[in-house]
Amino acid sequence: MTHAAIVKAARGVFEASGATPVDPAYIMPSDIPLELSGEAVRARLCVFTDHRGNEMVMRPDLTLPVAGREADRLAAGGSGAAAYCYAAEAFRLPAAPGDPMEFTQVGFEWFGQESTPYEDAEAFALVHEAVRACDVLPVAINMGDLAIFPAFIDALGLPRVTADLLKRAFRQEGGVRALVEAAPVPVEEDLVPTLEAKTPEAAEAAFRTALAARGIPLIGTRSVAEIVSGLRARAAAQSAGGAPQIVREVIGALAGVNCAAADAADQLDAIAARHRLSKATPAIERVARRMELIRDMLPDLKAICRFRSGFGRRFTYYDGFLFETLGPNLTDRQPIASGGRYDGLIAGLSSGRAAATAIGGVVRPDRVLRAKGRGA
Amino acid sequence: MSRLSLAIPSKGRLKEKSEEWLAGAGFPVTQIGGERGYQAAIEGLGDVDMRLLSAREIAQGLVEGSLHAGITGEDLLHDLAPDGEADFRVVERLGFGGADVIVAVPQAWVDVDTMADLEAAGAAFRKAHHRRLRVATKYMRLTRRFFAARSVGEYRLVESAGATEAAPTTGTADVIVDITSTGATLRANGLKILSDGLILKSEAAVAISPHAAWNGPAKASLRTLLAGADITDRDILQNL
Repeated sequence: MTHAAIVKAARGVFEASGATPVDPAYIMPSDIPLELSGEAVRARLCVFTDHRGNEMVMRPDLTLPVAGREADRLAAGGSGAAAYCYAAEAFRLPAAPGDPMEFTQVGFEWFGQESTPYEDAEAFALVHEAVRACDVLPVAINMGDLAIFPAFIDALGLPRVTADLLKRAFRQEGGVRALVEAAPVPVEEDLVPTLEAKTPEAAEAAFRTALAARGIPLIGTRSVAEIVSGLRARAAAQSAGGAPQIVREVIGALAGVNCAAADAADQLDAIAARHRLSKATPAIERVARRMELIRDMLPDLKAICRFRSGFGRRFTYYDGFLFETLGPNLTDRQPIASGGRYDGLIAGLSSGRAAATAIGGVVRPDRVLRAKGRGA
Repeated sequence: MSRLSLAIPSKGRLKEKSEEWLAGAGFPVTQIGGERGYQAAIEGLGDVDMRLLSAREIAQGLVEGSLHAGITGEDLLHDLAPDGEADFRVVERLGFGGADVIVAVPQAWVDVDTMADLEAAGAAFRKAHHRRLRVATKYMRLTRRFFAARSVGEYRLVESAGATEAAPTTGTADVIVDITSTGATLRANGLKILSDGLILKSEAAVAISPHAAWNGPAKASLRTLLAGADITDRDILQNL
């Protein structure tokens, strides 16, 4: 098959599913990916500056602009579920030598459906129908669920600040280790009146007094209220005595989950049972149910599906089930297809003016071609 | 480029110290066209393309391979090398031009002393302001790498052309990544260094480029330079 034939085959599958073909904007303000995902993604973005000095980017994938259109539609009063598909170019700076800077993604995005294991499995099956239409055999499928780590952290019943800190650190390159091992710092004596003040106004006054006594200027765009609330969070972490041993054990055990996808729910269950974290059960049941459905829909894939708890933690806007399909002749950094759930993205893109569940998947025709061997 | 292209900083203390070091090794530099010229000659190394450039241009030239060797700051080498230390090789640290690349925040942020505190403050800031905390720096790559390794993602970089330490006062950014030797300028601007915010201890160094075209004459000149300076690491030449 040629590249064009692969694009056509995959697109045919997504169009036949009833999705509306779309062709969104190529260019967007760099604020969209950067405010959403942080500077970590900048290294991969094709950035340029317009004549007024505004920083713009070429779309790094199709999910962002398609979700952006949907966020606009919903924020303008639109309603109901929607399904879109596309076959279009995306642009990224190479992560490895030889990676193309411009490549085609053929994919679909569903918005506003229910967010259950059934939709997860349906989306997964649709991507695999497209992979099959391209006449390539996957050699491995990696799966993860980015809702698992937060569910375990919530089940641990930590102070809110500590829990939030751990959840965010989980998604960063450095991970949670440094945080879990750090000892909390005591609050200095001259700041105690700020913490003990009865009203926000009194706390602000006490803070300004302490600052003046130290001879420190108040600069920067954080307000006094924000600094005081940071101080309170730190005091709370201090009185909680840092991350308890159970946190280290649970995080360590979670990090060790790397198994056949069919065994994932059992392994997670065992960790939850050992540490009496029954609040994590719904998230684990979702993993179990999803895998059952996938096994029923695609029995021949069961043997090659693996589950890793940290899988996809660096994929910026995903927040639930996600997967990557690997083909022959390529590294595990070059999936031929991938997809996942991102229920929080529409709210993020619209600054909370709209919300919708979302899941999508793509096929990479250039990699399918390489997986099949050139000229095959 | 068959002959060795060698560059030293074109002005200031770095230039004087570099010339002193070269002269001490037996290779005096003379400037062509007087004090303001950018061309120079060096004695004792044979036919060498001797250049006077800004420290940043020298680091860039070494990383790209348009220079064989040069004296520049390690901070610039680390910042300009896309693939980190695969893009340059420091053969000798020179003991001058010392400075630390650090992360600093307003002293008024009594709730922020570590990178983890900064991450928490950044997340709260985004919720309150619907934008990310700004970090001003001229060290774009170093900052990105360091913040990523410390799990700090809640920020936006603002490229700073100069006077980075003033950014929090003027409001263009809240956090800075900059060089400091004594910390006095930072303190005068109401800033403090985070306790784990030391990114790099930098000094001036002789560095060579693995990407430059190294042939007989260039290697011969480098060998003479290294011998004169008593640098005996034999691997340097063998690995080129």
